[in-house]
Amino acid sequence: MPRLRHSFRDGPAFDAFLVLLALGYLLVLSAFPLVYNLILSFQDVDLFTLASFDRPFVGWRNYAEVLGALVAPGIFANTALFVALSLLFQVTIGFGLALLFDLRFPGARWLRGLFLAGWIMPGLVVGAVWSWILAGDFGVLNHLLRTLGMIDGRIFWLSDPDMALYSVIIANVWLGIPFNMILLSVGLAAIPDDLYEAAALDGATRLQRFRTITLPLMRAQLGAVIALGVIFTLQQFDLFAALTQGGPSNASNVLQYWSWQMSFQEYRIGHGAVVSVLMILFVVLVAAVYVRSTRQDHAV
Amino acid sequence: MTEPQIELHGIQKHYGAFHALRDVSLTVPAGRFVALVGPSGCGKSTLLRVLAGLETIAAGRIRIAGRDVTHLPPRLRDLAMVFQSYALYPHLTVEQNLTYALRLRGVPRAECRRRAEEIAAITGLQSLLGRYPRELSGGQRQRVAMGRAIIREPRAFLFDEPLSNLDAALRVQMRSEIRKLHDRLGATSVYVTHDQIEAMTMADTVVVMRAGRIEQEGPPLALYDRPANRFVAGFIGSPAMNFLPGEIAPDGRHVRLALPGDPVLALGSRRLDAGRQVTVGLRPEHLVPAEDGSGQMTLSVALVEQTGSASMLVTATDPALTVAVARRLDLRPGDPIRLSVDPSCIHLFDSVTEQALSPEVMC
Ligand SMILES: Nc1ncnc2c1ncn2[C@@H]1O[C@H](COP(=O)(O)OP(=O)(O)OP(=O)(O)O)[C@@H](O)[C@H]1O
Ligand SMILES: [Mg+2]
Repeated sequence: MPRLRHSFRDGPAFDAFLVLLALGYLLVLSAFPLVYNLILSFQDVDLFTLASFDRPFVGWRNYAEVLGALVAPGIFANTALFVALSLLFQVTIGFGLALLFDLRFPGARWLRGLFLAGWIMPGLVVGAVWSWILAGDFGVLNHLLRTLGMIDGRIFWLSDPDMALYSVIIANVWLGIPFNMILLSVGLAAIPDDLYEAAALDGATRLQRFRTITLPLMRAQLGAVIALGVIFTLQQFDLFAALTQGGPSNASNVLQYWSWQMSFQEYRIGHGAVVSVLMILFVVLVAAVYVRSTRQDHAV
Repeated sequence: MTEPQIELHGIQKHYGAFHALRDVSLTVPAGRFVALVGPSGCGKSTLLRVLAGLETIAAGRIRIAGRDVTHLPPRLRDLAMVFQSYALYPHLTVEQNLTYALRLRGVPRAECRRRAEEIAAITGLQSLLGRYPRELSGGQRQRVAMGRAIIREPRAFLFDEPLSNLDAALRVQMRSEIRKLHDRLGATSVYVTHDQIEAMTMADTVVVMRAGRIEQEGPPLALYDRPANRFVAGFIGSPAMNFLPGEIAPDGRHVRLALPGDPVLALGSRRLDAGRQVTVGLRPEHLVPAEDGSGQMTLSVALVEQTGSASMLVTATDPALTVAVARRLDLRPGDPIRLSVDPSCIHLFDSVTEQALSPEVMC
């Protein structure tokens, strides 16, 4: 009996079984929704046809309608701004903090642990906390800025069209910093001290050591946090739901929230599916660029 | 040629409550090859790192080529260090590793290239300039680490056990290559090792350390012939010196050993206080089997090891003595052996302070 089990585990049948298991999982849980979503984007779907598969195909009409919508350019621009600014500040602040904690001052480990607190909080809770901080009439931030004498009146962070998107970006940056910091901290810890010592003896200043040792050796980690950051930022939904609902009048609306609005508030499910398909294509592109860039990486 | 290149004066180093260097002073003349030896944890690496500026010190002064560098960061000390781990930059090719320091100083590209090729020729790396460190063998990495040090023409070279990751044969070869390079460059080198053979064969001056202190420094053979104390005597020489209790005879010219038969050895021209308790040090190679029955002591053999050209035996005594003979001996365990010792080869140490008594013996 043990012999049988052995030959099964070592044999090609077991390998095939493992491959099928993985493929099956992907098929049911990833590929099916993806393909279903793709099909939806070419169909005319409403509340009544939602339950059946038998729906009229409409070719590229959904795409034309979505891309031609009056609000589309603004929402695309908002999304780009949301992703770019969120990433820029998440990564630079996260990297800065990781470098700071890498100096190993007393209590560094303990303090770094505290940063994780923000990470484990659900997005909706974070959103609620930030809506309280950013509230125009009795918000903490306005109170703070007024006390410091930096503003006279009130800033309506969430309802001012010029401010709403930036308010969500601030909250999202705050939410993303711990993740960036932890991942980059791990990368920094993996760089041996003696490389810095050798570089110091070779005549490198602190800044030169950062440029010639730290940055190149952190390339893979930076690539990872940027690629994952793009994906996570495009998935950020809770903050919009909790803070601005995309308003006022789409001033802070982004693709992922728009897609949800069309699908589940206006029941234009085909239109919602078009946006998801476009976003999936973009994410796949980002992932491909990331995988390509890590493949030529130099192992330490 | 003999003005000091490196001067360490009264160095004190603490790691928290641990006192790692205790008032260490050392002068290295220009062109000298100095080896730091001592048991693990005695502070060799710490001293080297202090010299390089990688560790701060609580007290003391450091001068390099006449300039006080005590408070200068490593990059301004103009020293090159070869690490035990080699510390090659993993993301740079061999050529980029070699020229890293030059490029920092803004040396033009063509000049970097020329120097890299020159150094590659010296270190045998010509065909490897385009490779990354992970594509090199241990010995090749070692050469890159060496090349990266010499390309800079620094004030001095610091080595921290650079050969300990190599196999025995390569270690012997690199030993002489490093020494040849040192001579060719007219360099000043400080070389840390826990291998006393390495220290003895490579260095002009050997510095023996123990527990954060320098126990003795001097030319290799001087340390072998005239160890200043029992620790140095036991550390230098392989196989290690035998130690046994003894008492100075009433005439002050002989020593009685605590061995079966109470053998008495003549001390030659030396004269000590009668009845004084001492520790007697006898090197294995100075215990000579006496064929003609003229030996000074007869001991029983416990163990014989033959290497073909030489024999090593251990006596069945307490303490056991090791005897090294440069020829074959037809002996087996239990056989008696007669041994004699040249009076000038007997080392005597105070049994309390462990300092050498009349260390002027020459053997
Ligand atoms: N960063 C540190 N913090 C605390 N103690 C240290 C530190 N570095 C070294 N020590 C201690 O200082 C002593 C000297 O260490 P050092 O590395 O100089 O020894 P060494 O002579 O080079 O030994 P080895 O032959 O094993 O390399 C050791 O007892 C070590 O435990
Ligand atoms: Mg060491």
